[in-house]
Amino acid sequence: MTLLGSYLTLAAVLFCLGLYGVLTKRNAIVVLLSLELMLNAVNLNLIAFSKYGMIPSLTGHVFTLFTISVAAAEAAVGVAILIVFYRRRVTVNVDEFDELRR
Amino acid sequence: MATVFAAYAWLVPALPLAAFALLTAFGRSLRTTGAWVAILASLGSLALALLIAGERLAGAEDYSQSFNWLAFGTATLSVGIDVTNLTSLMMVVVTVVGFLVNVYSYGYMRDDERMTVFYAYVSLFLASMLGLVLADNLLMLYIFWELVGVCSFLLIGFWYHKPEARDAAKKAFIVTRVGDLGLLIAVLLLFWYMPGHALDFTSIGNVFGNDGGAISAGITTLIALLIFLGAVGKSGQFPLHVWLPDAMEGPTPISALIHAATMVAAGVFLVARTFVIFEASPAAMATVAAIGAFTAIFAATIALAQNDIKRVLAYSTVSQLGYMMLGLGVGSVVAGMFHLFTHAFFKALLFLAAGSVIHAVHTQDIREMGGLGSRMKTTAWTFGIGALALAGIPPLAGFWSKDAILAAALERNPLLFVVGAVTAFLTALYMSRLFYMVFAGKPKDDSHAHAHESPAVMTAPLVVLAALSVIAGFVETPWYGWFGEWLTGEAAHHAGYLAMIVATAAGLLGLYLGWLIWQKGTIDRKALAARMPGLVRVLERKYYIDEFYDLVFVRSLRRLGYVLRAIDGLVVDGAVRLVAVTAQAVGRLNTRMQSGQLQGYLLAAVFSVVILVLAVAGRRLW
Amino acid sequence: MFGLNLDITGELAAFFILAVCAITGAVMALNLTRVIHSVLSLAFTFISLAGLYVLLGAEFAAFVQVLVYVGAVTILMIFGIMMTRHDHESQERQRPLTEALAGIGCLALFGILFFTIRGTDFPAPAGALPEDNVGELGRLIFSGFAIPFELMSVLLTVAFVGAVMLARREEDDLP
Repeated sequence: MTLLGSYLTLAAVLFCLGLYGVLTKRNAIVVLLSLELMLNAVNLNLIAFSKYGMIPSLTGHVFTLFTISVAAAEAAVGVAILIVFYRRRVTVNVDEFDELRR
Repeated sequence: MATVFAAYAWLVPALPLAAFALLTAFGRSLRTTGAWVAILASLGSLALALLIAGERLAGAEDYSQSFNWLAFGTATLSVGIDVTNLTSLMMVVVTVVGFLVNVYSYGYMRDDERMTVFYAYVSLFLASMLGLVLADNLLMLYIFWELVGVCSFLLIGFWYHKPEARDAAKKAFIVTRVGDLGLLIAVLLLFWYMPGHALDFTSIGNVFGNDGGAISAGITTLIALLIFLGAVGKSGQFPLHVWLPDAMEGPTPISALIHAATMVAAGVFLVARTFVIFEASPAAMATVAAIGAFTAIFAATIALAQNDIKRVLAYSTVSQLGYMMLGLGVGSVVAGMFHLFTHAFFKALLFLAAGSVIHAVHTQDIREMGGLGSRMKTTAWTFGIGALALAGIPPLAGFWSKDAILAAALERNPLLFVVGAVTAFLTALYMSRLFYMVFAGKPKDDSHAHAHESPAVMTAPLVVLAALSVIAGFVETPWYGWFGEWLTGEAAHHAGYLAMIVATAAGLLGLYLGWLIWQKGTIDRKALAARMPGLVRVLERKYYIDEFYDLVFVRSLRRLGYVLRAIDGLVVDGAVRLVAVTAQAVGRLNTRMQSGQLQGYLLAAVFSVVILVLAVAGRRLW
Repeated sequence: MFGLNLDITGELAAFFILAVCAITGAVMALNLTRVIHSVLSLAFTFISLAGLYVLLGAEFAAFVQVLVYVGAVTILMIFGIMMTRHDHESQERQRPLTEALAGIGCLALFGILFFTIRGTDFPAPAGALPEDNVGELGRLIFSGFAIPFELMSVLLTVAFVGAVMLARREEDDLP
């Protein structure tokens, strides 16, 4: 028995906490941060499997690197959008982001 | 002699029908002209009916003509007319009364603004009755039968602004429906069992005339009883008589028409027309006789205690119809039809005279009348003649026909004879009561002192009918059985003088007793009533039949109706409403979900994933 | 529970400390009202995760984690905070229904994951990672994953250009 289950559980806890933040927080920046937390939980899974998986391999690390890159890009674009939105509506509250309805 | 006029017999119902069409189409602009159209149409029918009857008296052959209406498979439904002695007799009766009622209504309905509508209905009524009479098969008869029912509904409820009239019309329609259903089932049974699915009277006569070989005795009895059920409904026999007295809410000429010629005669006529079926079933015959005798005495006792002039006459009609049924039930078509023939005249006379009285005093309660004889001489005289005829006093028409029935009953069953004789006594009693209370004595109310005779257009039919009531009986006397021979081809049989003497004695006794009670006052009627309050109350309440029906059928059906309505409202409508509410709720939920809020969408996605996982792999988690 | 029957090894102790740090940071990030505090708290979580990566033998990933998340993303967020106003934070509107539903959804999801993890019998690893992790990783990326790596650089460039384009102040924009 390895610590794999514990790592996975930790990742699940972090993922769900991130999801809860995404679902409930009104501040767009906190929502973005929660999103990063969810991505991190996934990264933790990848790395845990890369060590404790059936066939240990570095591919998990490679994927983690890619994910971190994508997350960085996503954060950059997200903040940019946030700033644009803030300029138009003078708010960062997600519940006022109802452009989809129009 | 050749059949010249019988070939035009279809015109007899067609003329009133044309009048109906004309009045319906142009009625509003016609007014008195419309009345004339209807009167002339009925006059035409009368003339033609008389010509046909004359031709038949001279010994013309039966005439029938029919063409196929519907053919399906091996069965064919036909439409046609049948002119026989029986139908031509009925035609004469119907057209005579119809014509006179039309004339009379010209005076009676003069002030009614819907006079042309009235005439249109009356014309349709006549047309359907004549069609019923002429019909050469049961299906066609049934169609006209229902038309007669519809017309009676329209006419009884003619003054629809009166709630009683509306109720009476509905009651008449619904109660007769019970009988009509029986007739319909009988027609269907006949259609099913008759060889070749033939429904015309000739085939029926052939099949049942040969001892009913083609159809088993049980089915024959069933068919006969179902047909009789139809007649019971239409002719107001017990236990379906309740609509007939209520039908008094209609205009008085209509009461005359319904009671004398059209509606109620249809039932008797039906039994006479399908008499071969009854003859093939002794049980059915016994039922007819028993119901007829019971209805006769039953209605006569009720008539004793009624205070509405028209209601007394109505119960008298029920009673006399019972007589006719009794006559038919003891096997004498001649007696039954003879009584129908004579009764049509004097009952129409009585109703029209009653209408004249009502027209004059504007009330129907005989306790408020009195002393009208001196001011309304024609009405009083003609009413008196009608009453005597109804009471069976020789030599008026009623005597002969009643005698024929009693003689036939005596031959068959002494008990039926006794019942008939008692009924004759009661008839004389209530007629004398009616006559004395209305025409004799002093006016009870000052306003009635100014009552005056009705116009000639109303009294003339009375005179004609009175004359007919006097002479109509002579076509068939114990010594001269010409009518019976003509109608059925057999000489009518009479049981000597016993029936005649008993009938006369019963009638005279009734009249004398009535005279003692209501005219001379020798017998104090208050004391008499006080000695048997229970009986009086039961009679006044008409044996509580209406209350009984109300309790048993109306209430339970209404309760069933409430239940059904509740089911309809709660279950059926509820289901519909549930669908609507669900759709609305889903719509509202979706509207709220389409908020444009990203988090809301995401939440839905999370739930969807959870549900999806649980649904697909839920079992593996445990 | 997991690992309770294990001997308390160094790895286990380190794991628990770091795990508690990570969860604490995440919970704090969700509970703190001021955004800047949330960001800093989450940075703490990211650092704890980097520690866990080291524990799992992913030194390079841990390095990148610190560099990118703690160094870049968090700073980016702080810039975001600085460029917008956050004076509504104190009167945060309560949305009990949304929060309850989100809580139920997240708990359900966690339940599913938890039971799945618990119910799965993970086979023991057949071997171990190479000792020279970073060198092997470099060799892997520049050989087997060369094309994804290049695509990633394109993605980053596009994201960079896109972010600049988006955030560029236009003349008719309202402040």
